[in-house]
Amino acid sequence: MFRNPPALQLVTAVLSTGGLFAEVDFNRDIRPILSDHCFACHGPDEHERKGKLRLDTAEGALKGGDIGDALLPENPDESEIIHRIFSADLEEVMPPPDANKNLSDEQKNLLREWIKQGGEYAEPWSYRPPETSPVPPARISDWPATWIDNFILDRLHREGLEPAPDTDPVTLVRRLHFDLIGLPPSAEEVGRFLKEWKDNPTDCLEKTVEELLSSPHFGERMAMYWLDLVRYADTCGYHGDQDHSISPYRDYVIDAFNDNMPFDQFTREQLAGDLLDSPTIDQKIATGYNRLLQTSHEGGLQAKEYLAIYFADRVRNLSNVWMGATVGCAQCHDHKYDPYTARDFYALGAFFADIDEAQHFRVGTNNLPTRRPPEIDVHSKRERMRLAELGTKLSSHTLATSEERKALEAELAALKKRQRKTMITVATKPRTIRILPRGDWLDESGPAVEPAFPAFLEKPGNPVQSKRLTRLDLANWLTDPAQGTGGLTARVMVNRFWYLVFGSGISKRLDDFGGQGEAPVHPKLLDNLAVEFYKSGWDIKHMMTLLVTSRTYRQSSLETVDLRERDPYNRLLARQSRYRLPAETIRDNALAISGLLRTSYGGASAKPYQPLGYYKHLNFPGRKYSHHADDRQWRRGIYVHWQRQFLHPMLRAFDAPTREECTAERPRSNTPTAAMTLLNDPSFVEAARVFAARALSEGGPSVDSRLAFSYQEALSRTPDEEEIRIMKQLLSTALREFESAPAAAKALVSTGMAPAAGSLEIIQHAAWTTVARAILNLSETYTRN
Amino acid sequence: MDPALEYHHLQSRRQFFQGAGLKVGSIALAQLLSQKALAQALPSKADIHPALPGLPNFAPKAKNLIYLHMNGAPAQQDLFDHKPQMEQFFDKELPDSVRNGQRITTMTSGQKRFPVAPSKFAFERCGQSGILMSELVPHMKGIADEVTMIKSVHTEAINHDPACTFVMTGSEVPGRPSLGSWLSYGLGSESQNLPAFVVFTPTVKNPSQALFSRMWTSGFLPSKYDGVKLRSAGDPVLYVKNPPGVSSGDRRAMLDALGQLNEKSFERFGDPETQTRIAQYEMAFRMQSSVPELTDLKGESKATLEMYGPNAQKPGTFAHSALLTRRLIERGVRVVQVLHRGWDQHGNLPKEIKNQCLDVDQPTAALIKDLKERGMLEDTLVVFGGEFGRTAYCQGKLTRESYGRDHHPRNFCMWMAGGGIKAGMTYGETDDFSYNIAENPVHLNELNATILHCMGIDHSRFTVRHQGLDQRLTGVEHVNPVKPILA
Repeated sequence: MFRNPPALQLVTAVLSTGGLFAEVDFNRDIRPILSDHCFACHGPDEHERKGKLRLDTAEGALKGGDIGDALLPENPDESEIIHRIFSADLEEVMPPPDANKNLSDEQKNLLREWIKQGGEYAEPWSYRPPETSPVPPARISDWPATWIDNFILDRLHREGLEPAPDTDPVTLVRRLHFDLIGLPPSAEEVGRFLKEWKDNPTDCLEKTVEELLSSPHFGERMAMYWLDLVRYADTCGYHGDQDHSISPYRDYVIDAFNDNMPFDQFTREQLAGDLLDSPTIDQKIATGYNRLLQTSHEGGLQAKEYLAIYFADRVRNLSNVWMGATVGCAQCHDHKYDPYTARDFYALGAFFADIDEAQHFRVGTNNLPTRRPPEIDVHSKRERMRLAELGTKLSSHTLATSEERKALEAELAALKKRQRKTMITVATKPRTIRILPRGDWLDESGPAVEPAFPAFLEKPGNPVQSKRLTRLDLANWLTDPAQGTGGLTARVMVNRFWYLVFGSGISKRLDDFGGQGEAPVHPKLLDNLAVEFYKSGWDIKHMMTLLVTSRTYRQSSLETVDLRERDPYNRLLARQSRYRLPAETIRDNALAISGLLRTSYGGASAKPYQPLGYYKHLNFPGRKYSHHADDRQWRRGIYVHWQRQFLHPMLRAFDAPTREECTAERPRSNTPTAAMTLLNDPSFVEAARVFAARALSEGGPSVDSRLAFSYQEALSRTPDEEEIRIMKQLLSTALREFESAPAAAKALVSTGMAPAAGSLEIIQHAAWTTVARAILNLSETYTRN
Repeated sequence: MDPALEYHHLQSRRQFFQGAGLKVGSIALAQLLSQKALAQALPSKADIHPALPGLPNFAPKAKNLIYLHMNGAPAQQDLFDHKPQMEQFFDKELPDSVRNGQRITTMTSGQKRFPVAPSKFAFERCGQSGILMSELVPHMKGIADEVTMIKSVHTEAINHDPACTFVMTGSEVPGRPSLGSWLSYGLGSESQNLPAFVVFTPTVKNPSQALFSRMWTSGFLPSKYDGVKLRSAGDPVLYVKNPPGVSSGDRRAMLDALGQLNEKSFERFGDPETQTRIAQYEMAFRMQSSVPELTDLKGESKATLEMYGPNAQKPGTFAHSALLTRRLIERGVRVVQVLHRGWDQHGNLPKEIKNQCLDVDQPTAALIKDLKERGMLEDTLVVFGGEFGRTAYCQGKLTRESYGRDHHPRNFCMWMAGGGIKAGMTYGETDDFSYNIAENPVHLNELNATILHCMGIDHSRFTVRHQGLDQRLTGVEHVNPVKPILA
C-alpha cells in the first residue's frame, strides 16, 4: 500500500505525462506498473511463473498462457489482462487480493489505454545503450548557456512552465563552492567573484569553475560521495568492528578525482589494478576497493558461510556502483523484476574468486588494526613525490646551510616513518564457485560456474571466450561502450553527477535503473550526457563543468506556489534546489567559518572530540577513544575515523551512512538530535568561540561592524536591521548573564583545545561566543541554496 | 527517497498549502512564497513525527513495545525449557538421531565427543498456568500467568553478529532498519519531549560480547528513526547538555534569537524545512528538561523502588533501566529496547548464568507487575529473549556442577506479555533434548510479524523500497503472525 500512495501517483503521472495521457510510453508509464504488480509471478523468474504467462517481454505477453490470449493489440476489451484487472470477482481479479498489490483506477486505465494504442513493449530504457538525440531548439533563445538547458527548457515549455530567474551572484558563488569543493567561499573569494562578475559574468563563471576544479578540495568533495558508494570505512564492520588498514585507498580516490583520472581507468585500477602490466603502487592501492567489504574473524564462524556472505556483498556493491542494478536480488532465485538470473549472480561473483579471503579467518586478530592480508606498506602519492624531492635536494650538494640540510633530513626521516599499511588485492588460483540453490551455502549440489557477464547483456556478435575471464575483463566490459556496457555505466554515473549539483538524479533511483527504479524525467538529456561522458574520454571535470555552467544550474531556488504544487521535488528543474549540507560539509563549514579548519591533505584518519564512553559496547578488544590533541583535530570530515558500528555521532546525526552497504543517496533528515549536536558538540562550541574571537579582533570596533563581519564570514552577506536588532538583544542578554557569572564565561571560552584568545576580555568573548553559536546554528548557515 | 517517505513529506507540504488557502496558478512568478500566511499554515507541533498515513492498519492491541534482549543467548534448558529426560543421558553422547548431522559452530566442531549436559537447576510449574521455570528466575515465576512462553523460536544464524542483526532487523545482511526504527517510522511518536525510540545498554560485569549499533539504528531509513540511547555516564542523551558555562537561561535566550532568525529565513525562502528545524530545536530544548525529569526517581514510591530490587536507583544497571523503561512508556515513548549483555556461556555456565539472572530476574518481573498495576500492560507489549539458543551437549569440560553450551539456532525460548498476547500460555514444544522443534515452530520472522500485528500493522504491507525490493521487516518469504498466541 505504501508503494503508490494515491497522491504520489498523481504527482508521478502529472510529472511524467504532463497530465495528458494522450500517448502512453511503455518505459515511462507501463513498465513500472507491470514490474511492481505483475512481474513477481509473471516475470523473469521461471520458477515462480504462474499460469505459464510471462508479461515482462512482448513475446510472452502476445503468446499468452494457460488462460489464453493475454494481450491483443488495440483490443483491450478482448485482452485477458484487462478483463482480469477490472474484474470484481475475487477469484479472478489480478493481482490477487492477497498479494497486497492492488492497482489504482488510474493505473488500470493506463494499461487499457496502452493496449488500445497497440500494447507495444520497449526495451528497458536502462539496458539500451545511450544514443545522442538532437538538441531541441530553444524557445527562449537567449536563455540556454549549454545544450543541457535546451532539453530542460523544452520540457518546461511542454509543461507550461518557465525557468526561474538567475540567482544572485553571492548565492551562485556559495553554491559553486559547496557543490565543487564542499567548503564555503571566504569573504575575499566572494568579493573577488562579485567584482569579476560585474565585469563579465561568463568569464567570471568559467574562471571560478576552473579554479575550483583545480583545487585539491575538489577531490575531497568527490571522494566523499565515492566512498559512500563503495562503502569505505576504517573498521571491518562485523563482530569486534576492529580497525583495518585501508586509509591509503581513500587518498588514492581523492588523488584520482584531483588528477581527473578518466573514469574507465579509475574503474580498471580499483577492480583489477593488480592485473595490469607492472602495476604501480597507486594501482595496487586502488585494488583496496575489493577489500572494502565488511569482514569477520568472530570465533566459531563458519568459513563457508562467510565466504558466501562476502561473495554476495561484492556482487551487490559491484552492481549497485557500476551497473545501477540490484543483482544481489538474484542470490537465491532469478531476479523478480529484471532479467538477471541466479546464474548471472554467481557468474558475476566468480570474477572475484581469485581473492583469498579465507586467510583472515585464520590470521585475523583482535589487535588494532586487525590483520587482513594481503597488505602492503605504502606512502601516498604526495608523500612519494615529496620523498623524491627531498632525495634530490639532499643529494644536490647545493644546500645553503647545514641547518637547512638538517631540517630536510628530519623531514625525510619523519616522512619515511609515515608509511601506512593498506589492504590490496593479489590474485590467487580461483576457488570453485557453485550456484547455491536458494542461496544456501550448505548445499553444494549446484553447478560450478565460471566468470561471465550477465547473459542478456552480452552483445550477440561477441566471440566466445576461450580462457577464463578476469576482473580486468570485467572492468573493461563495464567501461567499453562498443564491446561492453560502457554506455550504460556512463549513464549511471552522469545521473549521479547530476544529483551532486541539482540535489536529485534525472532518474531518481541512483543505484537501481531496473524495473523497480524510475524512468528518467529527461531521458534524452540523460542519454546525451552519458554519451558526452564516455566520448570525452570519461572526463569527470569536463562533465562537472558542463553541469555547473548551465543556465539551469544558475537558476534561483525560490519557487512559486504554483510550481511547488506542480513539482514538489523539483524534478523538472524550473528552479534550483535547496537542501541541507551533507554531514561532513556541515563540519567543514563550521570549521572554515571559525578559521579552525586545517586543510592538510590525505593521511591517517583523524579523531575529533567524541563523547566519553561512546565506544563502550565495542569488544575484542574493548575500545578507548582518544581524540587527536594536535592539528588533526580540525581536519575535514572526509578524514574522520569511520567506525562502522559506532560512527561519530555528529556524522550520524546528519545522515552519514554506516557504510555497511552502498549508499548512493543519503537521506536528509531534520531531527532534535541534529539540533543538539550543532548546539553542544564541543567541535561546534569550540568553532563558535574561535569565530567569536575573530569577530572581536578582526571585526572592527563596534557591535555593528562585528556583526557585519560575522555575517559576512558565515553567510557571505550583511545582516539586515531586524537581524542586527535580534543579535544585539541576544548579545546584551548574554553580557548580562556572563557579567554575573564570570566563571561560566571562562568555562565557555575554554571549550576545546584551540589556544585561548589571550588578550580578549573574557565576558565579551563569552557573550560573542553566544552570538557565534546562534550564527553557526542558523538554518541558512548549513543550507545549500 | 522512498515513495512512502516522499508521500509523508508531500502530505505535510500539501496540508501546508491547503491550510494557507493558496490556489494553484493564481500567483505570478514575482510573488514568491511569503511569510505570514505560510507561517500560520504550519502543521501543528503535534505533527512533527506523525504516523504514516493508513497506519495502524487495524486497531492495535498494543501501543508501545518493550523489548528486553538478552544478548549472547541464554540457555533455554536452564531457564524455561525443562528436559528431565536429559538426566539419564548425563555425559553420554547426544544420540545421532537427535543431532542429525546438523551444522555446529567451529568452536565445538573439533570436539571428539558431544556429551549431553542436563541442567543442574530445579524447575517447577508456576501459577495457575503451570508454565515451567527454573530456580534461576524466582521472580519471573510470579509473572508466569502474564506471559506466553514460546519454546520453539528458531533463527537462521549460528554466530552472534549475524544472529543479533537478524533478531533485531529481520535480516543477516547489515544495513536494514531495526524493529524499533520500523515502528518509529510507521507509527510515529506520541511524545513531544522525548524520542520515539529509546535504547538502554546497561552495564554488566562480564560483557563477553559486543553490541552492534545496527540493532537499534535505522539502516536505510533516515537517521531520524534511529533509537536514541539513554546513557548512564556522561550526557544521558548525546549532546543534550549545555556546553560548559552555558546556563539554561542563556540557552533559552539563544534559542529565542535563533528561532526569530530562522523564522526570518523562512519568510525569505519559504522552505518548510526551516520550520521543521525551528520545531526540532524546540524539541531539543524540551529534552533538556524532560530527560532530567525522566531520570529523577523522587516521585517513585518506596514499594516500587523495592520491587525493582537493590539496583533500582543505580544508573547503568538493568534494574534502573527497567524502571526508566516504565517511566518512558508512561511518557508516550513508542519503543524501548533494553540490551543486556553477558549471556554467552560457552563454559562455567551454571555460575555465570546465575549472575546474569540476578541482574535481570527481579527487575523484569517488577516491570511486568508495575505495568499491570498501573493499567499499562494491556496496551504495552513486552518481549523477552536472546538471539538464539544453546546446545544440549556440553562445550568443554562436563561435571554435574559445571558445563558450557555452544550456540544453537534450531530452537530457543522467548516470552511475550501484555497487549495482544494471551496470558499464561505455553506454545511450541521441543524434543527430549531441547535440540529440535517437535511442534509449532516459530521463526523469528513470524515472531516479528506477531509483534507488528499486536501493534496494528499488517507486516506484509509494511514495506519500504530499497535496493530494488519492497523490503519488509519480516523478509521476502510469506509468513503469518502466530495466531494461537494472540489474545
